[in-house]
Amino acid sequence: MIEISDRFRPQAKGVEKGACSLVHPAGQPQCEDVIVTIGLPRRPFVAGLLALSAITRARAADSEIRVGFTQDALTLDPANPGNRDTETIVRNMYDGLLVRDPAMKVVPQIAVSWTQPDPLTYDLILRDNVHFHNGAMLTPQDVKFTIDRVLSGKIGGQTNPRRDLLGPMRRVDITGPHAVRFVLSKPWPLLPAMLPFQEIVCKAFVEKVGDQGMVTQENGTGPFKLAAWHHGDSIVMERFDQYYGGAPDIPPVGPARVARLVYRIMPDNSARVAALLAGDVDVINNLPVTSMQQVQANENTRVAAVNGTRTFFLSINNAKPPFTDVRVRQALNHAVDRKLIIARLLNGLAVPLNGVLSPDAFGFEPNLPEYAYNPALAKSMLAAAGVPNLSLTIDTDGSGKEISEAIASMFSRTGIDAKVRVWDTSVIVPIWRNAQQRKDHDLFYTSWGNASLDPSDIMMPAIHSGGRGNSAGYYNPQVDKLLDAAEAETDRAKRAALYKQAQLIIYNDAPWVFLWLPQDIYGISRRLKGFTPSPSGMIDLSRAIVG
Amino acid sequence: MWLANRASHLITVLIGTSLAVFAMMWATPGDPVQIMLADQRATRAQVAALRHEMGLDLSMPHRFALFVWHALHGDFGRSFFHHRPVIDVIGERLPATIELTLAAAIMALLIGIPLGLYAGTRRVRLPDRIVSLMSLIGVSMPGFWLGLLLMLVFSVTFHLFPVSGRMGGGDQPPGVTHLLVIDSVIAGRPDMALTALRHLALPAITLALPMAAVLMQVTRTAAMEVMPADYIVFAAAKGLPRRRILFLHVLKNALAPAVSVAAIEIGAMLGGNMIVETIFSWPGVGRLVVEAIFDRNYPLVQAAVLLYAVFYALLNFVADMLYRVLDPRVAA
Repeated sequence: MIEISDRFRPQAKGVEKGACSLVHPAGQPQCEDVIVTIGLPRRPFVAGLLALSAITRARAADSEIRVGFTQDALTLDPANPGNRDTETIVRNMYDGLLVRDPAMKVVPQIAVSWTQPDPLTYDLILRDNVHFHNGAMLTPQDVKFTIDRVLSGKIGGQTNPRRDLLGPMRRVDITGPHAVRFVLSKPWPLLPAMLPFQEIVCKAFVEKVGDQGMVTQENGTGPFKLAAWHHGDSIVMERFDQYYGGAPDIPPVGPARVARLVYRIMPDNSARVAALLAGDVDVINNLPVTSMQQVQANENTRVAAVNGTRTFFLSINNAKPPFTDVRVRQALNHAVDRKLIIARLLNGLAVPLNGVLSPDAFGFEPNLPEYAYNPALAKSMLAAAGVPNLSLTIDTDGSGKEISEAIASMFSRTGIDAKVRVWDTSVIVPIWRNAQQRKDHDLFYTSWGNASLDPSDIMMPAIHSGGRGNSAGYYNPQVDKLLDAAEAETDRAKRAALYKQAQLIIYNDAPWVFLWLPQDIYGISRRLKGFTPSPSGMIDLSRAIVG
Repeated sequence: MWLANRASHLITVLIGTSLAVFAMMWATPGDPVQIMLADQRATRAQVAALRHEMGLDLSMPHRFALFVWHALHGDFGRSFFHHRPVIDVIGERLPATIELTLAAAIMALLIGIPLGLYAGTRRVRLPDRIVSLMSLIGVSMPGFWLGLLLMLVFSVTFHLFPVSGRMGGGDQPPGVTHLLVIDSVIAGRPDMALTALRHLALPAITLALPMAAVLMQVTRTAAMEVMPADYIVFAAAKGLPRRRILFLHVLKNALAPAVSVAAIEIGAMLGGNMIVETIFSWPGVGRLVVEAIFDRNYPLVQAAVLLYAVFYALLNFVADMLYRVLDPRVAA
């Protein structure tokens, strides 16, 4: 084995170099020219292998970016993507009225500007040079149709949960050849934060292909258009030459810089990493912490991390004694060494939290005191609450096993007898979402995403009483009142103040064991330039280039 | 008569498996609506509406009756997650599994049977020992380990084969059979055929080696039983050439058990191998169905299991036919 590898390694490098330098003056890669045979060893077998190897390397053409991605799209219909991975893929083909820049600021995309003449009205001016991929011009009718389609609450006869992303939106009026007005039924300051989730579809096209056709066909206004969808294998996109250029606030403006963009579906972590290291793909999402060193050590690849938007916590069953006692819940918060777990198990790539919100979120309260790791304090608090010998079980799904076990062993240092029970995700999640079913359960290692980074998006479902994700069963009327008030408060400063007040109360009530906000980790080829990962999880490659 | 018998068996098997899967899915806790919604904003009314649309608010017998009624009309329902009929979703993935299965089966038959025959006719000599050891290794190697090893050596280190996928996101030939190698040949694109074959190589080897090992063992044992038989001794005494004895007399008799084993193995492979498909990002049904089970995507699981039952029944049927050809005593 060693003999063979030594024999052909230096030669292989020579071939590779030849391959890379053979770029057509017009910038188009000439893959066919690339199988050079200069300096190949004499033995035909090895020569054949080398030629194969050269094809493999050269196929990663200079005008094509390949993404090794965890999941295939469920649908191409932007009105109901179903999950963030699908939306990430679809977002390359469909643009929205507004979009988030890599710093998560909401900026205009198809819209030129937006104003709010009164709390119930938003006026948007649209660009006049936006084409759909089939050549049709974008009109205000398309915008109205897109929003009406989501407002209808159903897509293809099935209830569409995305309806809720438009809150109290009542209707869309066309107010000019390039202007629309959004009318709300009650004040809703969230609208600009939520609009980046709505991508504009072509009215005539949807009417032609129907909801069913939208699942597999595409006609957006984005920088790339669909070339082929090989289900489960890859989604191939080509540059859309008539692209209007994208958001002016995210330079450089213009058509995509590469001719092709390919999402290759690789659910297995090691396969994704192997593909990156082998040069088969240029970017991979969800780089496992355990592979970071390998990717960083490779001269052709690097690691990029960005604050995610998902808050991790241990949901405490607030309705079950002794967890009804706030001292017990606070003691649990003092019994977990977040920083140690982040350093050891998450490779340092997470921000410890003492509350619900990401530090990047609107209205984040930076002055929450820290629940410092203090087993002695925790012990005395438990004793004061009359439960010196607390025993509990942490529920988790397979992905949280290691961390839950670490937390359980920290609990045991505080004299808590803690066990971990690992469940199938689809079993444990419904149990904890139902007050009756979770009544005998203690703690649940879980998380909630906040892609809009607006507090409403995580507080209303996960903290407000009756929220679908309020697995702790937390109820504080004062917090509910503050959250309800913030929901309708149009003054940004006042709204932020309401959320800050709520965060302090939640901190003291400790309905959860607050944990951390992990970073999203990407593996990136050093050939790829002009790509910045975003907390939104969207992979915008329209400005990226390889070479 | 025999055919009618087999057909009635098939129908019993189909009804039995459908009912069994239905009962199992019903007895397994889990809620596809909560999985689907994850942490999207959704009201309780929306959750209830979704449950109703998916038929999850009906009783189990009611759901089963609806399933059978619709299935009889060729409608296997819509995938909860893909917004499309399950038949379409499975149909998109099936060709990849069939192509991989065919490649692996051909490879396994070409390796397993000749080696088994070779070892069985050289009993207790060195070649037999070597082949038996190889077979033992082949059977014992876990697929995820072998697959990853092949990938690390041949793809990551030496760049000889692509890491994963069917075509690496490159252009595909127009779909005729949807088996990419064959379609490339039909389209007159040897370059595409080569690309497809190179993508196929590692996953096919990963699947083929354990199967080849089993076939090797079965053929070896059968050959060993046949070798001392009078007619072989007589054929040798008659002065027939060794090759003729081996291929005409020994192989024909040693093949029958190998055919049964191959049918079962191919049947299992057509169900899709979740591990190999995951490691090599092969877009087959195995991965799809396992994901569907975790997501409680009931319609997809039900349709897939029915399909598996049909595959198994058909392959068994083919094996029986072959058996009859190879050994006329069975038919008598």
